[in-house]
Amino acid sequence: MAVEGQATPTEGEAATEFALPKQRTMRQSIWKFIRGKPLGAFGVFLVLFMVAMTLGTPQLTDWDVPNLPDRPLGFQLGDPWMSRYGLEDKFYTVEDRLAQQESPSADHWLGTDKNGRDTWSRIVFGARRSLFVALWALVFATVVGTTIGVISGYFRGSLDTGSQRFMDALQAFPPLIAIILIVTINPLSGDQPNLIVIAVALGIVGVPTVQRITRSVVLSTREQPYVDAARVIGATDARTMRYYILPNIFASTIIVFSTGLGVAILAEAALSFIVPDKVPQGASWGLMLSEAQSFLVEKPWMGIASAGAIALAVLGFNLAGDALRDVLDPRLRI
Amino acid sequence: MQNYIIRRSILNIFVLILAATMVFGALRIDSDSVVTQRAAGCFTQGDSEGVERCKEIARQELGLDASIFEQYWDFMWDLSPLDLRGGSPSLDWPDLGLSFREKEPVIDEIAARLPASIELGMLQILVALIVAVPIGIISAVRQDSWVDYFLRFFSIAWLGIPVFVIAVFWVIIVGRWFGGTIIADWGSPVGDYKDFWEDPIANLQAMAAPAILGGLATGAIVMRFLRSQMLEVLRQDYVRTAWSKGLKERVVVTRHALKNALIPILTLVGILLGAVIAGNIILENIFRIPGIGFFVTSAVAQAPDFPVVQGVVIIIAFTLVFINLAVDILYGWLDPRIRYG
Repeated sequence: MAVEGQATPTEGEAATEFALPKQRTMRQSIWKFIRGKPLGAFGVFLVLFMVAMTLGTPQLTDWDVPNLPDRPLGFQLGDPWMSRYGLEDKFYTVEDRLAQQESPSADHWLGTDKNGRDTWSRIVFGARRSLFVALWALVFATVVGTTIGVISGYFRGSLDTGSQRFMDALQAFPPLIAIILIVTINPLSGDQPNLIVIAVALGIVGVPTVQRITRSVVLSTREQPYVDAARVIGATDARTMRYYILPNIFASTIIVFSTGLGVAILAEAALSFIVPDKVPQGASWGLMLSEAQSFLVEKPWMGIASAGAIALAVLGFNLAGDALRDVLDPRLRI
Repeated sequence: MQNYIIRRSILNIFVLILAATMVFGALRIDSDSVVTQRAAGCFTQGDSEGVERCKEIARQELGLDASIFEQYWDFMWDLSPLDLRGGSPSLDWPDLGLSFREKEPVIDEIAARLPASIELGMLQILVALIVAVPIGIISAVRQDSWVDYFLRFFSIAWLGIPVFVIAVFWVIIVGRWFGGTIIADWGSPVGDYKDFWEDPIANLQAMAAPAILGGLATGAIVMRFLRSQMLEVLRQDYVRTAWSKGLKERVVVTRHALKNALIPILTLVGILLGAVIAGNIILENIFRIPGIGFFVTSAVAQAPDFPVVQGVVIIIAFTLVFINLAVDILYGWLDPRIRYG
């Protein structure tokens, strides 16, 4: 510290005075995040755990398996992480098929269902399906909602009014019933229920929320001096939106995306729970809960397991999304 | 104000026409699958000619054989409460077609089930207010005390866990450990539902658990909002004036602060009222309340009953749009500072 009266500060002191703040290592930043936001860290842990559960769950053909492509999001997800439920045949031997509706034991961590299938394995498979549907629903909602939001917020005027009324009309439908309506019509796949249809239905219902938030952020962004500057140097509208506005609303888009995941997982589970016949069969948390519902009191384990999985996943994504918002853009209200 | 109401009503009608158009379009995206659903019962002969004939009949019944403009024209006039088609204007209920299964007008079937849903929604709002208003006040007045932390934790917990997960755990706990006690009488799903006017006690027994569970979930939202409103109002000048006049704490909190903090809560409650009437599908299913949500679910469950789903969507959309309008108007009336331009 250069205090007055101290005529000649030593070289070492001068050096510390102008030194940049010390760069934190990765481990230190993670530790700071955990200390500062314990709930957010817990949420991130739950999310990572769920993602880990989906990594490389193998495609089984013998028993009930999720009706999913082998590479769920178009790329290889790596080696099986939970080898215990990898290619092991624990739950498809004859003895295990006879072990119906057992309580938890060392072999079956969460008991078995009425066909003798291991509940924990099905929870692991269900995680993959939940994430698949939720991710594609949010991709759809974010791409469509952000596009409409940026265009209507940028041009304003009658285009904006029109799209706002359109969103009003879309929001007038109660979300779950609207999803059921879309799944009932099922335009893509005829009579067969289809996960893509469910994902798109969830996405459509999510579009107005994304559009509204994006539009409000764009309305304030477009008044910034750098947008004026872009116009002055002759950038076209499309170029202004693409290179000047879109990068600057990216934080809010990420936040909307991450908070929406929890909602989408819950909605998928709720849909499978109330109309089990209209969704693809297989290991799904909502389907398991709906299956467990008829013998909930006598054999509560499957109900507890699937309801717990839904609750923890939703809680995890909500907490992680909140923490992400605090870090990226504390003023944004969702 | 009058101008505002008129303008909003016109906008609302426009929004409703848009919403109805979306539903109209939804049927036409893949009308063939709906025709197949309608014709499903008549496929007994098995030969392909019979199937075609069945589909043809179904198409005529659904009015899908006319041109798309004629279909749209009829669809819209069927929905509108004022019918000008027959030469002289006539008032009628929106015609939503016949349901596939019962062959009865969908509007009648919805009307028969609406009271249960509305009752459940009202009870939930009641529970939410009874719980949330005192808790919100206490936790704002005693900000950052342990009471506040405890109550906020309670509210975050209810917000974080989905209500149907809570309902499942509730059924397990009541069934396993409280069987035969008074809690089981009032808290478990009932087999036969009784109308309120028929048997009030049995009706309330069926309603109690979903009303309380759903009400607490709604109450958690109300409580958080009320707390932040109260904290803001308590810092206003007129509250300080009330304190310095020497008024008692109870008077300052209830007469001066609460009155103004409750105004924004009204908007929230209005929105929630729409949400709980429409959004109780899951609770209605778990606790076997034969309301609209239960109706939709059973209409979709075995054989898809398209007119029913379509009718419920339209009716609820209409209701929600007008609840929002009513809330906005009431808000402006309660808080004169708000100007609608």
